[in-house]
Amino acid sequence: MKSFRWLLVGVLILAMVCATTDVMAKKKTVLVYGTTEKVTDMDPANAYDFHTWEIFYNIYQGLMGYPPGKTNLVPALAESYTISKDGKAYTFKLKKGLKFSDGTPFDAKAVKWSLDRVIRLKGDPSWLVTDFVDHVEVVDKYTVRYVLKNPCAYFPSLVATVPYYPVNPNVYPADKIIKDPAELKGGKLVGLGPYQAVSFKRDEEIILDVNPYYKGPKPKNDRVVIRYFADATTMRLALEKGELDFAFKTFNPSDIVDLQKSKKLITIKGQGPYIRYICFQCQKPPFDDKVVRKAIAAAIDRKEIIRKVFLGQNEPLYSMVPKGMWTHEDSFLTEIGDGNVKLCKKLLASRGYNAKNKLKFELWYTPSHYGDTEVDMAAVIKRQLEATGVIQVTVKSAEWATYKQNWRDKLMNVFLLGWYPDYIDPDNYTAAFAGTAGSAGNGIFFSNKQWDAMFVEAQKNPDQNKRAAIYKKIQKMWTDEVPTVPIFQGTLYLFTQKNIRGVMISPTLQFIYAPIEKVK
Amino acid sequence: MKYSPTSAMGQLIGRMTGMGRKYGVEWWILVIGAVIIAAIIIMALLAPWLAPYSPHDQATGPQLAPPSGRHWLGTDNLQRDVLSRIIYGSRTILGVAILAALLSSTIGITMGLISGYTGGFMDKSLSLVMDSVYSFPGLILAIAFAAMLEPGVISITIAVAVIYIPTYFRLVRGQTLSIKEELYVEAARAIGAPGKVILWKYIFPNVIATTVVVFTMNVGDAIMIEAALTYLGLGLPPSVVDWGMDLAMGKKFLPSGQWWLITFPGGMISLLALGFTMLGEGLAEILNPRLLER
Amino acid sequence: MKNLIRYVVTRALLTIPMLLILLTIVFVVVRVMPGDPVSSMLGGHAPQSVIDQKKEELGLNRPLIVQYGDYLMQICRLDFGESMILHQKVLDAIGDKIPATIELTFFGMIITLLVGVPLGAYAADKRRSAQDYAIRLYGIVIYCIPVYWLGLMLQMIFGVWMDILPVAGRTGARVFVSTFEKTGFYTLDTLLVRDFEAFADVMLHLVLPSVTLGLVLSGIFIRLTRANMLDVLKSDYILAAEARGIRHRRVVYKHAILNAFVPILTMMGLQVALLMAGAVLTESTFSWPGMGRLLLERIYLRDYPTIQGIIVIFALIVAFVSLIVDIIYALVDPRVRY
Repeated sequence: MKSFRWLLVGVLILAMVCATTDVMAKKKTVLVYGTTEKVTDMDPANAYDFHTWEIFYNIYQGLMGYPPGKTNLVPALAESYTISKDGKAYTFKLKKGLKFSDGTPFDAKAVKWSLDRVIRLKGDPSWLVTDFVDHVEVVDKYTVRYVLKNPCAYFPSLVATVPYYPVNPNVYPADKIIKDPAELKGGKLVGLGPYQAVSFKRDEEIILDVNPYYKGPKPKNDRVVIRYFADATTMRLALEKGELDFAFKTFNPSDIVDLQKSKKLITIKGQGPYIRYICFQCQKPPFDDKVVRKAIAAAIDRKEIIRKVFLGQNEPLYSMVPKGMWTHEDSFLTEIGDGNVKLCKKLLASRGYNAKNKLKFELWYTPSHYGDTEVDMAAVIKRQLEATGVIQVTVKSAEWATYKQNWRDKLMNVFLLGWYPDYIDPDNYTAAFAGTAGSAGNGIFFSNKQWDAMFVEAQKNPDQNKRAAIYKKIQKMWTDEVPTVPIFQGTLYLFTQKNIRGVMISPTLQFIYAPIEKVK
Repeated sequence: MKYSPTSAMGQLIGRMTGMGRKYGVEWWILVIGAVIIAAIIIMALLAPWLAPYSPHDQATGPQLAPPSGRHWLGTDNLQRDVLSRIIYGSRTILGVAILAALLSSTIGITMGLISGYTGGFMDKSLSLVMDSVYSFPGLILAIAFAAMLEPGVISITIAVAVIYIPTYFRLVRGQTLSIKEELYVEAARAIGAPGKVILWKYIFPNVIATTVVVFTMNVGDAIMIEAALTYLGLGLPPSVVDWGMDLAMGKKFLPSGQWWLITFPGGMISLLALGFTMLGEGLAEILNPRLLER
Repeated sequence: MKNLIRYVVTRALLTIPMLLILLTIVFVVVRVMPGDPVSSMLGGHAPQSVIDQKKEELGLNRPLIVQYGDYLMQICRLDFGESMILHQKVLDAIGDKIPATIELTFFGMIITLLVGVPLGAYAADKRRSAQDYAIRLYGIVIYCIPVYWLGLMLQMIFGVWMDILPVAGRTGARVFVSTFEKTGFYTLDTLLVRDFEAFADVMLHLVLPSVTLGLVLSGIFIRLTRANMLDVLKSDYILAAEARGIRHRRVVYKHAILNAFVPILTMMGLQVALLMAGAVLTESTFSWPGMGRLLLERIYLRDYPTIQGIIVIFALIVAFVSLIVDIIYALVDPRVRY
């Protein structure tokens, strides 16, 4: 018995020695990054969510890109580009001498192959290509030309999105969507970016090591381990215990309140591109009447929603074009105001609604897709509307799959939605909701010829000032027609340990790992 | 003797202790269970008078206030009063659980009687279906049903009821099979009584007694299933006040120190389930001591 | 022996209609659910033609009865199809998650046995004493505490206030799964690669979930053990043993408990449904990446094949366990006719 005990002690000592020597041997900088997001398909042709895109930003590169933490578009894999006179052809000169990890050279052929693949596979985000690009031409080895269906002033920002990213033609299969890196030839996710995925375990962890074939500046760390959490509470506790170097997306409001107070952590706050709003099905009475829609917009008190539901986080939003984006105007604040019960009553009275004959409708929300704050938001909005004394609201909910089906089937007249932009341009925040095609896709079914003409004009016109004027006008018109009611704009919160430097987040949500480092 | 509250009380206590002496601890288990249930039922019935605020009032006091003199059980992030929500929430859970147990017992007992009495192919196939459902984890089936139906009180009642039908069916069918062979049933049949009469007049009264205990325990289980479904976010719209939903909402405040949002709704679910289980347990021990030991 | 084989075979055959019925119920329930996976996986931009095309690819536009037939044929080949949300084989998705569930239920069961059997035996020994009533009361009370609430309370007390145990998940953030994972059973995997630090971490993460699950089930085991022990203690050979002067404690806690153990084990088989339900709720509370969480996630997404697959696996487990239990019972108890 005694000998057994000594054996145990011996094993323990040995284990400790091994552990310490192990630590001494690798002086690598390993960063552990926590998130509650999920990765979807590891394929630019089918990934259509910000977290998977974020990983692609670090493993691949586009012809265009954003510097870390910035919103100004710069050439990345491209050297420069030119636009044809009619605005329908974009010609990119590529950087020379780049190679994929297996030696395949990066050239115009690879760019064309990748884009053709996206078009052929018809994945979820393929509309970002097919709605705009007619075809791609290889001009010479290092020159590629995109021929567009219609002129598009913001095409370079589209080229910065993941579906446009060139992939290695020898590794990705031509006619199949890839889910896990294991399905790739060579079994490893590696591209032209600073990192490569060396281990991939869905919903658990992804390990990214520095890509030795990367030609740009060397990242300031050697390894980034992304740990996936099923809930925000666990992630918050792991961060407080120091198990995580940094954590991003998405904390509970109560956790953010506490973490901001913590002396052990650094809070990095940024304006997000994420907006929330109320949608109307603009074809069904009484919501085909813009006065009724405006009345509801008037009754909403954004500050109260933010204070109660989000414990003071996020920013009230008074236009569909978020703050921080050029041409943003606080139109709803100046034209309608917050919690303007008087106006709401006046507008509804003009349509015959009063305390005896209340406006009755169903308000829909979806309980898990936008997190569990959604129930609270629905409850607060219901109370605000009913506090006018002339509205009666029944709150209804459906899970995301049903929700989407419901808006297609025009079953919901008033419902809550959220929006992450596909590309960073006011067009994606306006035409998507009030253009005839876009609004039908979001269940709003708003259609107005004058508006459609303005959207097309804004899309085509290469003159930034003229575009801005159009979007300013549209934002003003929005407060009259009210196809949707903006509520708030998400604020991004990222927390790091005290010894972490170089974390930069921006409204483009392009979170780049390379500049992040650990200091003593 | 003139009536006086004290003497009535004395009599009552006397009688209770008498029963206690006769049946032992089981009697007291039964009494405690009954008292818990009665208290919560009274709370549900008198909710508008007992609750200090409306459960939907979003301006009762400060946000996330801990329990205090003004808010006995604190407030939540929408500034609603937790005590008022607990009081009103009892209506939902009691209503759903009792209704579900009534629904499943009515269907289960009727089907069990008919199936057991008729016999033959229908009985065999029905038993097989019931046995299959019985052997399967009820909660998982209820989750599937609740997800299928549109959120609402009726839907969740159905989801809970469905999984308990086999319990009653098996119990009643088994007893019907044995009672069917009894002499007095044979005699009734011999004098030409129609099947319907035999079923309801001779068999049913003999079967119903044992189902009472099962019913009580069943309500206790139904309470926990209801709360589990709403805790998982299935089954009810948010305009309904419900303990399981409040617990789910309070969950995210776990590391922030707002313990009252988790402790009270969950504690009430346990207490109510405990009431029915104790009542059932006491009844079972007194009526039929062997029933639960199997 | 021949009889026994015949019994086993008939008993096994009997589970087939049972499974068939469950499969049918599941198919009907899942397909009646509002919403469909195509709308769930496509963005708002998808035009109707793409939706119709996807539906056709997935075979969702065929008559239900044809889909049902296909579904049964698939299951006969043990092919659960492919997830409609992620392009992933359902069996792979389940295979990824099932070790977590098994590990949790295994340790939960150990806690249940460690708490339930000794307490039940003690209560039986001290029948009608204060201790007996106290233990039985504990059994009733613990049975009535919802497993998710117990989990939350334990998390709050031990994870947040006292800060001595990890609150959720299977490993800490600094223990990288890819360094040891082979079978998916992390306790086993960490030992296989001799990573004792990781093993300790995995064990620590198992404490709260398995204690939660184990305690809630312990109430039932107290009752089962007590009832069986009462029977055994009344039997002749125990009386004989006592008469021969073997110490009382030895008689009760060794001989009697061993004799009561077989019925207890078989009862344990009957509780497997309860164990599964408890595991689903425990997983949801402790962010445990097992089958229960997978089921809930996929229900929200209306991923038919995965939902069906998970429920079928649950049904298979239940059927298999009850089959084993019946066979053990038949082997041990000569009164069972076969």
